[in-house]
Amino acid sequence: MSEKKTFKTAQLMKEMMKKYYEDGAAAKERGIPVAWVTAVSPVEILYAAGVFPYYPENFGAVAAARKVADKLSVHAESKGYAHDLCGYARCGIGDAYADEHPIGEIVKPEVLFCCNTQCGSLPKWFEVASRFYNAPYFLLDAPLIGNEPEELCTSYYKEQLYEMISLLEKITGNPFDYDRLAEVLHLSNEACRLWNEVLDTAALKPAPFGFFDACFHMAPIVTMRGTQEAVTYYQALKEEVDERIKEGIHAIPNERFKIYFDHIPLWPKLRWFSDLFAAHDSLVAVSQYTHSWSYSFDLNRPIDSLAEQYTEEFVNRYFDYRLQLKMNFFKKYNVDGFVLFSNRSCKPNAFGLYDKRSILSEKTGLPGVVFEADMSDLRFFSESQVLAKLEPFFEQLGSS
Amino acid sequence: MNTEVLEIFRQAVEDPGKEVREWKEKKGGKVVGFLLTDVPEELIHAAGFFPFGICGGTVRMDQVEAHLQFWSCSYVRNSLALALDGKLDFLDGLVIPHTCDTTRMLMGIWKHVRPLPFMDSFRLPRQVGRPSAKQYVVGELRRIKDRLDDFRGTEITDEELSQSFKLYNSNRNLLRKLFNLHEQNPASISNKDLYTVVKASMVIEREKLNMLLSELVSVLAENAGTPNDKTKIFISGTFLEPLDLLNYIDESGGAIVGDDLKNGFRYIESDVAEAGDPLEALAERQLKRIPSASYDIPENLRRHFLVKTAQQKGVQGVILLHVKYCEPENYDYYDNIQALEKAGIPALRIETEFGDTSLGQLSTRVQAFMEMVGGE
Ligand code: SF4
Ligand code: SF4
Repeated sequence: MSEKKTFKTAQLMKEMMKKYYEDGAAAKERGIPVAWVTAVSPVEILYAAGVFPYYPENFGAVAAARKVADKLSVHAESKGYAHDLCGYARCGIGDAYADEHPIGEIVKPEVLFCCNTQCGSLPKWFEVASRFYNAPYFLLDAPLIGNEPEELCTSYYKEQLYEMISLLEKITGNPFDYDRLAEVLHLSNEACRLWNEVLDTAALKPAPFGFFDACFHMAPIVTMRGTQEAVTYYQALKEEVDERIKEGIHAIPNERFKIYFDHIPLWPKLRWFSDLFAAHDSLVAVSQYTHSWSYSFDLNRPIDSLAEQYTEEFVNRYFDYRLQLKMNFFKKYNVDGFVLFSNRSCKPNAFGLYDKRSILSEKTGLPGVVFEADMSDLRFFSESQVLAKLEPFFEQLGSS
Repeated sequence: MNTEVLEIFRQAVEDPGKEVREWKEKKGGKVVGFLLTDVPEELIHAAGFFPFGICGGTVRMDQVEAHLQFWSCSYVRNSLALALDGKLDFLDGLVIPHTCDTTRMLMGIWKHVRPLPFMDSFRLPRQVGRPSAKQYVVGELRRIKDRLDDFRGTEITDEELSQSFKLYNSNRNLLRKLFNLHEQNPASISNKDLYTVVKASMVIEREKLNMLLSELVSVLAENAGTPNDKTKIFISGTFLEPLDLLNYIDESGGAIVGDDLKNGFRYIESDVAEAGDPLEALAERQLKRIPSASYDIPENLRRHFLVKTAQQKGVQGVILLHVKYCEPENYDYYDNIQALEKAGIPALRIETEFGDTSLGQLSTRVQAFMEMVGGE
């Protein structure tokens, strides 16, 4: 399909991620503890404490993108972990029990920090891993919050940040360095700012950058937020996107429609989806997913700020808040329709989508559709079923 | 023997809305439903509302398809289906405990399809081992109490709380006696009847329940006698459902002597302290409940609890009930089985569904297991 000019920064990313994994593998020898951590959790604290943060979710996403998620999953399934559990968790648990490691072995943890803002699967998976690898496990518990931030939840979270810091002091043998934390938070802010500036260019019509590009370029904001490398990376990406705007290079050849997509992409089918949308002159411009990393910490009150921003993330909010968020994105990016992915792996993001679809159409008048599949496992993907949902949607777009 | 009073419990389970409808008609009070069972029922009761446990039932399922994916657990699907089908029309309110991602997401859907005057979540802590947890639970309980105060129009008094604590403690005490009688002398009350009484205790007015339970316990105690010669079984899981499953255990000469089920012994195991700050007391009870998959401490008490209890009670086998698509339970399963195996305790896992009446295959598996563990 569409001959796409690849981003120059793609090469830079490959090198960065390669180095990140090498550092992870070498950490132990260098006496740096490896800590497992979840995508939406205050990794800034781990960087400030000098431990190496490793993201097993990323391991799952890589396995999915390389189309081996099912191969790893069967090892978990053979132990009784059902195939309807989160695909990342199945890959992680599967890798623990497998003899073959098609994408290399997961990096073993010396300690596990899990934050449950995203879901309840991560804590259960991390509990299993903590027993398997015989490493201590710490849960940062974030109760779901409604439309308004709640003092009860932020102060609970804040208390736990201090509990987490004492555990880290014990593990590293060093007092926690708050000056270093301020530096890390500053770097996080910078990376998030640049990342969101890049994402925002998808609102231009035609746009130089869309959701599928974002899926490709998001690894550093997830895994290296808080480092200079991430800042450097997004500076380079921002420059390149700006150049593209000047030169008139667009994300898809003939952009007529902008689409909102919820939520995680189907990693093994990224290319297929991006081609399918492009073939219908539709740019998937935005998803709440890639906007998860939009922090702006107040360096004068670091712990409070961390507690507020991490608990108030949309993944930790009620139904109505998330509806409103989607509508805000519809507006900001001026979308013509929305596609909601009922992701079997990810119950917290999938449950409620059926009702949200009808409410959103009612409130905005935009066409929208829900389709079923799994973000990582092709055993739950049927091309004909997905097309049966999407084709009529594209027709609706064209006729409105 | 004692069939009269047992019959009342059986009927309450047969038609869970019967008692509450009659109560509403007579008293004109409000009913606040809850999903099982990690909820501070005492607060609802102290406000003068009827706490109604939504514990499943036969219902048409087609309407729920438009709101919940088929791969959500059957407890939540069944509960929402009951609401959609008008079978919960007596509810004025609903409290959903956050035990998993499904219950976390359910409130928004329910609010949209069947809004009620009072709707709230009980946001359980997922870690119960660190000091921060207790403070949080107390705060969360205070928040719910404030909302109940608003809904009622006047503040719930300490006196009302203390009355409810006493009544609930008394009911739990009677239910524990029943479990005890059953354990000492399984012939006195069958497994199915025992768990029928627990289920009924969530849908009968609690004052009336107290009388019924007292009567039942005294009748049974009189007839106690024959020693326990049945195969001792422990049941682990989220819910015991469908109750008919217990027929097979009854028929194969098994006696359930312990469980960690939300609608079993775990529901009534611990009491609320009647002295001291009431919300702290409720928080304490919540935090020291029998461990479940929904929250645990890093040392994984649940596994140890399983093995220890099974050993102490000398059980011959453990049956793990897994409500299909229940995620938290699924993550615990393998390590639990491993721990039991290591301790030399045979275990059987079966998948169950709410509202499922086709138990044919399960009967064979349960019977075969019972034969295996009981056959010495
Ligand atoms: S995909 Fe969903 S369920 Fe899986 S780890 Fe991410 S948020 Fe949790
Ligand atoms: S059975 Fe499991 S998945 Fe269903 S509501 Fe209970 S804890 Fe959640």
